[in-house]
Amino acid sequence: MEPLQPLQEFLPQVWFFILGLFLFLYVLLDGFDLGVGILSLTASSEERRSILMTSLGNVWDANETWLVLMGGALFGAFPLAYATILNALYIPAVIMVVGLILRAVSFEFRENAKNKLVWNVAFGVGSFLAALGQGFALGTVFEGIKVDEAGHFAGGVWDWLTWRSVLVALTLIQAYVLVGSTYLILKTTGDLQETHYKTATIATWTTLIGAIFITVSTPALSEQAREHLFNPPLLYIFGIIPLGGLLLIYLLLRSLQKREEVTPIVWTFLLFALSFIGLGFVIFPNIIPPSVTIYEAAAAPSSLVFMLTFVGFLIPILLAYNVYNYIVFRGKIVAAEH
Amino acid sequence: MAEILSNAVILSRLQFAITAIFHMLWPVLTTGMAIYLVIVEGLWLKTKNISYYHHARFWSKLYVLNFGLGVASGLPMAFQFGLNWAPFSEAVGDFFGTVLGFEGTMAFMLEASFLGIMLFGWERVPPLIHWLSTILVAFGANLSTFWILSANSWLQTPSGGEFINGKFVVQNYFAAIASPFMVNSFSHMFLATLETSLFVIGGISAWYIFQDRHKEFFAKSLQIVLIMALFVAPLQIFVGHLSAEQVYHYQPAKLAAMEAQWETIPAGSSAAWSVLAAPNNQLEKNEWEVKLPGLLSYLLELKPTLTEPVLGLKHWQRQDRPQMVGLIYYSFRIMIAIGLYFLGLMLVSVVEWLRGKLTDRKWLMVGWVIAAPLGYIAVECGWIVRCVGRQPWLVYGKMRTVEAASHLPVGEILFSLTGLTVMYVIFFGAALLFGSKIIRKGPDLELPAPQMGKVKFVPDSRPAEA
Repeated sequence: MEPLQPLQEFLPQVWFFILGLFLFLYVLLDGFDLGVGILSLTASSEERRSILMTSLGNVWDANETWLVLMGGALFGAFPLAYATILNALYIPAVIMVVGLILRAVSFEFRENAKNKLVWNVAFGVGSFLAALGQGFALGTVFEGIKVDEAGHFAGGVWDWLTWRSVLVALTLIQAYVLVGSTYLILKTTGDLQETHYKTATIATWTTLIGAIFITVSTPALSEQAREHLFNPPLLYIFGIIPLGGLLLIYLLLRSLQKREEVTPIVWTFLLFALSFIGLGFVIFPNIIPPSVTIYEAAAAPSSLVFMLTFVGFLIPILLAYNVYNYIVFRGKIVAAEH
Repeated sequence: MAEILSNAVILSRLQFAITAIFHMLWPVLTTGMAIYLVIVEGLWLKTKNISYYHHARFWSKLYVLNFGLGVASGLPMAFQFGLNWAPFSEAVGDFFGTVLGFEGTMAFMLEASFLGIMLFGWERVPPLIHWLSTILVAFGANLSTFWILSANSWLQTPSGGEFINGKFVVQNYFAAIASPFMVNSFSHMFLATLETSLFVIGGISAWYIFQDRHKEFFAKSLQIVLIMALFVAPLQIFVGHLSAEQVYHYQPAKLAAMEAQWETIPAGSSAAWSVLAAPNNQLEKNEWEVKLPGLLSYLLELKPTLTEPVLGLKHWQRQDRPQMVGLIYYSFRIMIAIGLYFLGLMLVSVVEWLRGKLTDRKWLMVGWVIAAPLGYIAVECGWIVRCVGRQPWLVYGKMRTVEAASHLPVGEILFSLTGLTVMYVIFFGAALLFGSKIIRKGPDLELPAPQMGKVKFVPDSRPAEA
């Protein structure tokens, strides 16, 4: 068994990374998608709302698919985590799924409906619910899930509802609105663009406040997090990430101030990446925090290798044609001539 | 009723059944219709006849409505295994999760990414790239069918590894993917989506022809459908027959339920095929039945007498055989009847076409309009036979449904079950409403051919208001 040891550590780590990548792409891409959806509730005219929806028309489905990919990969690579986490997150997951269903059908029904009000509201509310469910899920995983010795969920129905998960959920919604606003700055012109410079600025501040609360309360409340974070090498990382975050926020606010078009979304993406790396370090090597590691929850090595052979080969292709899709539809969206 | 509402396993099963039954309605059309779209767009590129372009644009309006609903209604399917079937997910995740992961990475993403170009990219990419996008969407959808049927076939005929201490340990992934049922089941479902879509397209075309609206335009789609149905309808019956033969060998208890056969028919005797019956699970017999003598022996072995026995339901203990015999028995018969109706309609239409009268026969057009919803019913019935007939097993012979369900509080399942059911019913109604609106509005025959460069890359060519 000796020679297998490195492989048994390496494979789950690779899969942890792949899952992280899928989740990151999901949060980034469906993040702006959901953010635009939430912002559509504030659109002052049907024409503006149409431009918002058009900006998502060719991408919403692919963006949402990253979540399905993440689910499939989690199921295949860490079956125990897939089962236990979803079991613990039953209600947040249902809230999220209901939200995603609402927004997807509203998208299609709105196109065909004479009375668009119902579907406009359903689209915005669906986007909000999806973000809310995801926020609760993220908050709960971050907080930790109660399990028995076999790694099965041993907590209660309402375990996911704590003031910390509410805080994470609210912050995630702010972050989605932020990235949605910067996407709209990129895709629109004139008054509409100006509106979203404003929403982006507001959302930057609200996201920052939430992030500060989360960052400070994590080591303050959890002894395990303290042990984990306040010792090298994580100490340095934990020091660098907030500083980097503050720098990016400064750059973001400045670019919004200067009314730049492309840089706001770039800084926001980097901000997301930085938070994500931080989150990854806090959670690793667990897959069901605080006690089940990726090594304990992983599928058999043969299974991980088999999946990796195909999925690893496909990832660059997936990325390439997703990028191609964005290239084909690059440019500003303008209202139709009537 | 109270018993059902307080049983977490039954509620989880009910939720899976409802989500699967509703979800199925949408991808079944988009998967098959994508192939039709590839054909009309290819014909347009080859013949430069603008009418084919108008076909592509008209049918893709229906396509996108169904696609959105398919994605939306499929989401609970992707998460339900973990939410409601955690012990199952953990036990078979090494294989089952791998296959679902493959479906996402290989099929879903391909379909989702190129859909945008297919729907909105007419003036943004060259025609050949557009056609390639349509092909990739169709390929992605059908690849998805392949992985789902591979996963489900493994539940029916598990292979490629062993259950050790309740956990499935994979020894050969390819053997698990290609379980004994896989080839026939995939072929059957592939043909089912195509056949359903063909008869939907044919039915809608016939509705226009019947009303003398755009008669020439819709005669084209009806003819394309008819040419394809000429191959698909008979082939589907043949593949369906092969599937039933496999059930006879691998899942005899399911076959007994499909035939409502309570007593074993010994080898050497002739077996009758039951046409109608009133199965009574309590009394373990049929209260009455109508039989065609000798037909079952012919169907199963092409011989007047059986060489192997057909085991009756009573051969198994009650807890080891499917319970809903009537449902399985009638679902099977409805599916067969619809398959035969399609075959007959196709044959009559071909004859009328050869006589040059295809679009003049009003009664024939009525026959096509009736056919439009039948494919859906047949598909649902087929899945009921397949999955209700597999009970009491989730993984046939290896893992019981009861052992596979999560121990969830009943309230939690009722919350999701009610929410999803209410939503699905509303969306089903709305989909019918909006679908019929698109159909009533009809095709836009004035639409000019797309021109690359006419609309530069900068502004979006899509109308802000549809």
